[in-house]
Formats: sequence, structure tokens, C-alpha cells
Amino acid sequence: MATRMKLKLKTVFVLYFMVSLMGLIYALMQLGQRCDCTEHNMPKDRTISRLRGELHRFQEQLRKSEATKQPQKQPAKPTIFVITPTYARLVQKAELTRLSQTFLNVPQLHWIVVEDSPHKTPLVTDLLVKSGLTHTHLHMPTAKDRKLQEGDPSWLKPRGVEQRNEGLRWLREDRRAQPGGDNQQGVVYFADDDNTYSLQIFEEMRSTERVSVWPVGLVGGMKYERPVVEGGKVVRFHTGWRPSRPFPMDMAGFAVSLKLILANQEACFDGDAPMGFLESSLLQGLVTMDELEPKADNCSKVLVWHTRTEKPKMKREEALQAQGLGSDRAVEV
Amino acid sequence: MPKRRDILAIVLIVLPWTLLITVWHQSAIAPLLAIRKACHHLVKEIFIIPETLAVRHHRLSDDGVEGKREAGGQAQDSKEYCASDKDIVEVVRTEYVYTRPPPWSDVLATIHIITPTYSRPVQKAELTRLANTFLHVPNLHWILVEDAQRRTPLVTRLLRETGLNYTHLNVETPKNYKLRGDTRDPRIPRGTMQRNLALRWLRETFNANSSQAGIVYFADDDNSYSLELFEEMRSTRKVSVWPVAFVGGLRYESPKVNAAGKVYGWKTVFDPHRPFAIDMAGFAINLRLILFKPQAYFKLRGVKGGYQESSLLRELVTLNDLEPKAANCTKILVWHTRTEKPVLVNEGKKGFTDPNVEI
Repeated sequence: MATRMKLKLKTVFVLYFMVSLMGLIYALMQLGQRCDCTEHNMPKDRTISRLRGELHRFQEQLRKSEATKQPQKQPAKPTIFVITPTYARLVQKAELTRLSQTFLNVPQLHWIVVEDSPHKTPLVTDLLVKSGLTHTHLHMPTAKDRKLQEGDPSWLKPRGVEQRNEGLRWLREDRRAQPGGDNQQGVVYFADDDNTYSLQIFEEMRSTERVSVWPVGLVGGMKYERPVVEGGKVVRFHTGWRPSRPFPMDMAGFAVSLKLILANQEACFDGDAPMGFLESSLLQGLVTMDELEPKADNCSKVLVWHTRTEKPKMKREEALQAQGLGSDRAVEV
Repeated sequence: MPKRRDILAIVLIVLPWTLLITVWHQSAIAPLLAIRKACHHLVKEIFIIPETLAVRHHRLSDDGVEGKREAGGQAQDSKEYCASDKDIVEVVRTEYVYTRPPPWSDVLATIHIITPTYSRPVQKAELTRLANTFLHVPNLHWILVEDAQRRTPLVTRLLRETGLNYTHLNVETPKNYKLRGDTRDPRIPRGTMQRNLALRWLRETFNANSSQAGIVYFADDDNSYSLELFEEMRSTRKVSVWPVAFVGGLRYESPKVNAAGKVYGWKTVFDPHRPFAIDMAGFAINLRLILFKPQAYFKLRGVKGGYQESSLLRELVTLNDLEPKAANCTKILVWHTRTEKPVLVNEGKKGFTDPNVEI
């Protein structure tokens, strides 16, 4: 009796084992066939996309027909004068190229490029001419003791001061000769060559009466810094570093109207100001905090970012140059 | 004793089955649910809007009337569309919006630019300035592929506001392929799955026999491109190449071109004996070639650092077929710039700034 029982149990177990094994293999094969399942989803997607395309086409036609119905004569827009200090380094041409591509989208923009150099370099000259932008090419070298040395951290000495002041000087001189005198329409913006600008920020700053402000992304050790607006007026600044400064914001976070620049002929950046006070050194003489005009939807949208570009690694280049086999210097990078 | 043995045996048999069933459920159910919801939402959006424009269509043209009828008739099918999902495991949502705002000419070849992107603080800034560049290129079609489980509203909104021709795709790189901490680990190729998805989309959307000329270019979101580059690549017959600045630890890497205008080698220091010692930004492929060789993709696994580009190109061309551009590879028209990771120390552990503000 006992042996018969044992035998029965054994077969049951063996059977069960075989069934489990086959089931496992079947399941594994099922898992392996994922990819085919999505195929029948595509035609549905494509119908949706095609209809979306038609929808947008109709919307475009609508917009066009409405535009032709009312041909409005737009009044001349105030020109935005963008002052950009720049200096020679490996990524200079790349930075200026993509900056010029952004500016090419903005109407009525005058780009003032000031090189930190004793003379104008052909690289920048050619770039400006090819860009197709309205531009002014200036140069102003920084005094040796004010210049950052190799290996210095970027915050050690204020950068671009002499260049921006030179830009202001040229602007004042140039505008004095223009009709309209001190009542000319225009906005002055200080744009560094490694930041990123959206096209909206230029439209926001065009209506500046005195000094307008907005948030700047990725600056001051935070995701963004911005002026805090209550009742349409700036009451304080949201910043992570030294909020007690008179104007604790970045160079890219404000624009000054041309009228104010021309009315205050002596206002310029102070290179001797302590770290972080560069912007305040200019704005203190021009405007008070409650006169500031908040833009970018009451300073709630980030339309400009303080990006910085990495210094490209040149280990192999330096090694080759030591052997006299460096890359062709005639090729401009 | 038989009792203990029995129990042991039963446990041994049941355990793998329970494991299998739990794993199966996890991988199968979650994407299925996502698709159902997304599908309904998408279908609703499409079919409600045309109704409001229907009246104006009459004024515009006769096509409008057909459009309305089509939209009305298919509104009822939306439920059917969505209910027929079965065993979908991979989630791929596409949105191909073909408007024409930036300059368009019927003579020029379309440039399809494939850009993989992923979420990080500088993402919006990078895509913004890339879009500012692309607005000047005629006949451009931007295929942006996100490394995410679903398309983010940030990118969706950005693409819509630019007014460019775009296609927005997404596929998430499984975690075991993602970079582990160190961003410079070359063993794991970044953006591969995203680029492959874009290639697959192109093959499914375009017919190999159509006369539509197209060029495919892989553009990373942190590089810098001159406008001249896009005009150079438009005349590509098979695969064209040019120098790229700031790669391989050099001022620039470039193909070696002989007097006959043929590429015979690579001027690089890092492994110049690779089949194609070139950066992703240094070549462009004619769309027809992509369509004729539907098996050619970037290799995902087992790719040595720097061999990613070769894994695709060796299935498409030989060295002899390469076309040198940029004045026989003597001008730099594209720079492999990299953006610094922003220092966010002042955010602290809890975050100082309002998380609702998009950067």
C-alpha cells in the first residue's frame, strides 16, 4: 500500500513540475515579443496628427485673413541698444554666433560689441559683418591690474566694466548728433555673450520708461532670482546672496531707457565697487526701487538665463603643440 | 519525512510562479492605463476645436466644408479608437504638427534635425537658443525626442510657442542604461534610444519611393551651429562630413581630404582608426539612404566610447562615399560647446525659490 501511495505522489509531482516548466517557457516567450504590440497604435496616432495638422492649417488661414482685413500702420518701435562686452577665448566665436542668431529674430535692435582688446580683431569684425545685424564694433582693453589671470576664479575681479562704459560713452556721443536730442526713444540692455535670451524679453523691455526689471534664471546659486512685486511695484528682491545690496540683481535682469542714459551723462559702472555691487553702482544714480518697472508678467516668468559655457578640454591639443604638431592655426575656431 | 518534503516541493514550485505573475502585472498594466487616458484626452481635443471654426471655414474655401464633415463624423469613433488598446507595453506618443511659419521653399530639401533632450535646469535655456537659431533655417523639421516617461509640458509649450515645424516624441531610457552619477562615463551612449526612435519615426512616416528630398542631422541641444552649416548639408547625396570644434580634446577634429576631394582618414588624436572617427555633429545623412537601409540603427549595447557614430555609419556608407563639405573640411561651422552645470547651492534642501515658476 505504502509503495503504491509513494509512486502516485511521485508521478503527481513530476507532472506538476513538467507543467510548470512549460508554462514558464511559454511566459518567457510572451515577454520577448513586446515590440510588435505597438504597431497597431501608430495609424491611430497618425490620424490624430493629420487632423491636428489640418486644424492648424485652418487656424493659419484664419489668422492670415484677419491680418489682411486690417492693415495697420505700426508706429516705429523704440530701438533696443544691446551692449555686449567680449574677449578672445576658444568659445568666443561660438558664443557670438549663437547670440547673433537670437538677435537676428528681434526687430529694431542695434548691437554694440565692445572687445577687451587693444585693437579690433578680424574674427569679430567678420562675424559682425556676416551676421546681417545693425551693429557697432568698439574695443577697449582692460587695465592689467584689473584683468583676471589664468586660474583666477571668475568672481575675483569685476569683468566687462571698461567695455560697458565704453559702450555707454559711444552711445551718448552718437545720440547727441541725432535729431530729437534727449527725448529719443530707445532702451539700453547689457547682454553678456554667454547668457541665453528668449525673444519675449526684448519685447518686454521695449516699453521701458526709466528702468525695468525681470527675473533671471540660474543665477546667484539659485534656480532664479527675481524682484518681488506687490501692487505693481517692486518692494524687495528675492535673492540668495546679499539681499541688502541696493539693487541685488544680475546684469541681465534690467534695462535702462535711453532717455535716462542721456539725461545722466556721468552715470556709468564703477570698477572699484565691491563684488556684486556692479549693477547697483550704475542704477543707484539713476532710479530708486519704487520707480522700477516690473516686466515678465509682474516678474513671475523667467525669460533670460545666466548660462555659462564650459571651457573646452585641450589636453590633447596642448600635447600635440608641444610636439610641434598642433592643429592648423590658419583655421579659425 | 514525506510531509516536510512535500511542503518543500510545493514551495519550490509555487515561488517562481508568484514572482513571474507580479513582474508581469507591473510591466503590463501601468503603460496600458496611461495610454487609455492620454488617448481619450487627445481625441477630445482634436474633435472639439474644429467645430467652433466650422462656421468660418465656409468663408475661406471649399476644403473647410469637407474638414467639418470629417471631424463631425469621426467624433463618435473616439471611443472605439481608445478601447482597442491591447498589449501595448512601449509608450510612444507622437505629435506631428506641420505648419509652415519659418521660411519655406518648395525647391529646397527638408532638413530633419533629430535632437534628444532630457530634463535638467538648463534644458529650457538650451532649447530656447537652439530654437532661435532654427528660426532662420528654411525647410527645417525639428524632431525633438525627450528622455522621459511622458512628454513634459515645458517642452510641449516651448515647441508650440516657437512656431517651428516640429515632431515631439519621447522614450525613456531604462535605468540600467542611464548614466550612473558620473556624466562623463563613455561606456553608456547617451541619447541612443531617443535617436533610434526618431529614425524609426522617419522610416514609418516617409515612403522610400516618394520624391520628397530630405537630409537627416543629429543635433545635440548644447552645441552651437552656424547658419552656413545647414546650407552646406542640404546638398548631401549620401553622407556628408565636416570638421567639428572642441571635440576629442583638440581645437577641432576633421576628416582628412585628399587632392581628389575624397575622405581617406581622420585627423584626430583619440583613436583615429575608428571606422568613422567623427562626432555626432559632424555628419549628415540623406533621408533616402535611411529609408533604403531600414535595419540601420545606433547600436545600444557593447559600444566602446567614441564608436557610437561608427555603429550607424558603417551600415550606411563606406569611407569612399563620404562627401566633404565646408570648403573641403577646412572651415569650422559647428562647435561642440558644453554648458556648465549651474551651481544651485543657495536653494538648500527644501528649495528657496517657488517651484511653480518654470526655468
